[in-house]
Amino acid sequence: MAGVTGGNDFQWCFSQVKGAIDEDVAEADIISTVEFNYSGDLLATGDKGGRVVIFQHEQESKNRPHLRGEYNVYSTFQSHEPEFDYLKSLEIEEKINKIRWLPQQNAAHFLLSTNDKTIKLWKISERDKRAEGYNLKDEDGRLRDPFRITSLRVPVLMPMDLMVEASPRRIFANAHTYHINSISVNSDHETYLSADDLRINLWHLEITDRSFNIVDIKPANMEELTEVITAAECHPHQCNVFVYSSSKGTIRLCDMRAAALCDRHSKFFEEPEDPSSRSFFSEIISSISDVKFSHSGRYMMTRDYLSVKVWDLNMENRPVETYQVHEYLRSKLCSLYENDCIFDKFECCWNGSDSAIMTGSYNNFFRMFDRNTRRDITLEASRESSKPRATLKPRKVSTGGKRKKDEISVDSLDFNKKILHTAWHPKDNVIAVAATNNLYIFQDKIN
Amino acid sequence: MLGRGVKRKWSSLEGSEAEQLPDAAATEDKRLDAALEDSEEEDRGDRRSRTDAGHLQQRQLVLSLCLKKLQHYQAGVELSLRRSVLLINTLRQIQEEMQSDGTDVQLGGVSRDARLLRDDFREDESVTCPGCTEGDAESPSPPPSPEPTNTTPTDLHKPLPNVVGHTFSDAGSAMGYLSDLALDDIFEDIDTSMYESSELPSAWAAGSLWPVSVSFWPNDDDVKLCSSAGSLQSCLLDLNELDHIMEILVKS
Repeated sequence: MAGVTGGNDFQWCFSQVKGAIDEDVAEADIISTVEFNYSGDLLATGDKGGRVVIFQHEQESKNRPHLRGEYNVYSTFQSHEPEFDYLKSLEIEEKINKIRWLPQQNAAHFLLSTNDKTIKLWKISERDKRAEGYNLKDEDGRLRDPFRITSLRVPVLMPMDLMVEASPRRIFANAHTYHINSISVNSDHETYLSADDLRINLWHLEITDRSFNIVDIKPANMEELTEVITAAECHPHQCNVFVYSSSKGTIRLCDMRAAALCDRHSKFFEEPEDPSSRSFFSEIISSISDVKFSHSGRYMMTRDYLSVKVWDLNMENRPVETYQVHEYLRSKLCSLYENDCIFDKFECCWNGSDSAIMTGSYNNFFRMFDRNTRRDITLEASRESSKPRATLKPRKVSTGGKRKKDEISVDSLDFNKKILHTAWHPKDNVIAVAATNNLYIFQDKIN
Repeated sequence: MLGRGVKRKWSSLEGSEAEQLPDAAATEDKRLDAALEDSEEEDRGDRRSRTDAGHLQQRQLVLSLCLKKLQHYQAGVELSLRRSVLLINTLRQIQEEMQSDGTDVQLGGVSRDARLLRDDFREDESVTCPGCTEGDAESPSPPPSPEPTNTTPTDLHKPLPNVVGHTFSDAGSAMGYLSDLALDDIFEDIDTSMYESSELPSAWAAGSLWPVSVSFWPNDDDVKLCSSAGSLQSCLLDLNELDHIMEILVKS
C-alpha cells in the first residue's frame, strides 16, 4: 500500500457523495460518526438527529466496470430519541456519539450505537422470504374457522421484496453520569467498554442490568478535578488490555488481569512538553481527542488539536512518529480559542495495513500520512471536484510570506467546515469522510 | 522592550474597546491574534519576560474570554465537562503565573472588591473593573432599563477602557476574583449543578432563591446565573438529597 499519500503510482478519486446539497444545513443532519464494519461491506453513519444510516457496498456492475461498486443505502433507523432527565432537569440529546460494529457471526449484522447516556445494541437483518399456507390462519393473518379446516398443508416459503429490519436487541442504560465519549467492542466478542468523562464501564453484550466500573477518576472533591477521560479503546487482540486518553495529553494502558478496578495503570504514555512552545493554550491543544490501536495491536495513534502521534506500546516516554496536521494554526490559537474551535474533537483512523493514517482538519480538508515514505497529503472534500472518477487535487495552505499559486492562505480557511470523522475501509483503499451533513466516499484510482 | 508594534496595539486596543460593538468581533479576532503573534515574536527575540506588554495583554484577553466562556457555559448552553475542565485549568495557569509574577502583591485594595463579588458575582465588572463593581454593589439597584439589556458577549469588554490604563490592578482584580471565589464556585457549578444533581435553571426560575440578582439586575439574563454561593449551596444540597433518595428507591 505504498504511496497512499499521492505517490506517482497512486491517486485518490471521487466516488460518491451522500446527503443534501442545500446550503442551509439542518442541525439534525450533521454527521456525528462514521464506521465501516469488519468486512468493509457496510458503512454506518450516525447523526445529531439520532439516526443511523447504513450503506452497503454493491458489487461492480458490468456496464460501469471502472467503478469498484458503490455504497447505497441499506437501512435507516432512528437509534436514539431526545429525552429529558426529570430528576436532573437535563435534556439528553439524541446525537449519536459513536457506532461500533460487532464481528459478524451469522447472516445478521449487529452494531452498538450510543448517545451521551444510553448504549443500544441493534440487529440488522434481511428478510426476502415469507411463509405462506399456514393451517390456522389465512393469508391476511386472520384465524381461520377451525371447522373449515379439513386438511393439513405444509407452509411454504415464498420470495418477497428484500426487507432490511433494524431491531433494538439490548439497551444499556443508567450506567453513565457523564457524557459517553467512546464505546469499544472487546476482542473476546463478548464484552465491550464504554467511557464517559470520568469513568469507564465494562459490559457483557448480553447483560444490560449490570456493568463493571473499571476506571473511575472522579475525585471525592470535584474541586480537585483537573483531568477528564477523552477516549478509550480495547486492544484488538488482547482482551485484558485497554487504553484511555486524557485531557492532559496522556494515555494510560490498563491490564484488567492486574485488578478488577484499573484505577492504577500499567503503562503511562506521555511526551514531555516543549517549554519553548508553551502558551496559555498548551494544555487545551494537548488534550487528546481520539485514540486508536493499529490493526496489528503494536501501535496506537492519538490525535490532539494540532498533531497526530503514533506510539509504540513498548515505549512510553515519547511517540515514535509525530505528524503535524495543521501547524499553521498555531499562530491562530487565540481566535480559535475565542470561537471555541480549539475544543473541536478530531478523530483519526488507520488504513487496513497500518501503513497510513488519516485525520481531518478545517475548510473541509483532510490529511493523510504515509508512515513508510513519511509523505503527507492534504485533500479536500468538496462538491466542486465531485465528478465521477475525478482525481483529487492535493491542496496546500500557504504557511508564510508569499502565497504561491493554488495555495490557500490561512486567513481564508473556513472554520465552520470541519472534518471531524473519517473512516478507512479495513481492506481496500476506500475512505469515508464526513463533512458536516455530507458523506464523501473516495477510492484509489484504478488505471 | 516595547516594540513599535506593541505600542500601536495598545492604542488601537484603547480605541476599539471604548466603543466595543457586537459586530466588532472580527476586528477583535484580528487583534487577538495580533496580540498572540506579538508575544510570540517577543518569544523569538530575547527570552520573554512575563511583564511584556503583549504577554500581559494576551493574558488579560485569555482570562476574560475564559471567564466569559465559563459563565456562558453555566447557562447550560453547552454541557461539556472536558471543555470546562480545560477552561478552568487555563484559569489556574493564569492564576499561578500571576502569583509567580507577584502581580497579586498589588491586590491590596482590590481583594475587597473580590469580596463584594462573592455576594453578587457580577460577571463583567467583576473580571475587569473593580471600580464599577464597587459602585454597583453600593447603590442597591441601578434603574432597571425598560428594554432588554444587550448581553452580547462583547459586553464583557466594555469596562476595558478603564483597564487599559491599569493592567496591573486589573489583573489583580481578576486574581482576587479567582483566589477568593471563582474557582470554588465554578467547580460547584460543574460538579453538582450540571451533572450530579441538576442543571438548575429550573431552580433559578423560582426567583425567590435569588433575591440579590433579581433585584439588582432584573434585565440582565446572565446575572441570574451568577448567584450567591450560599443559596446555590442550599439548593444543591436539596437536589443532592433528592438524588440520593431516588437512588435508594431505584435500587431497592
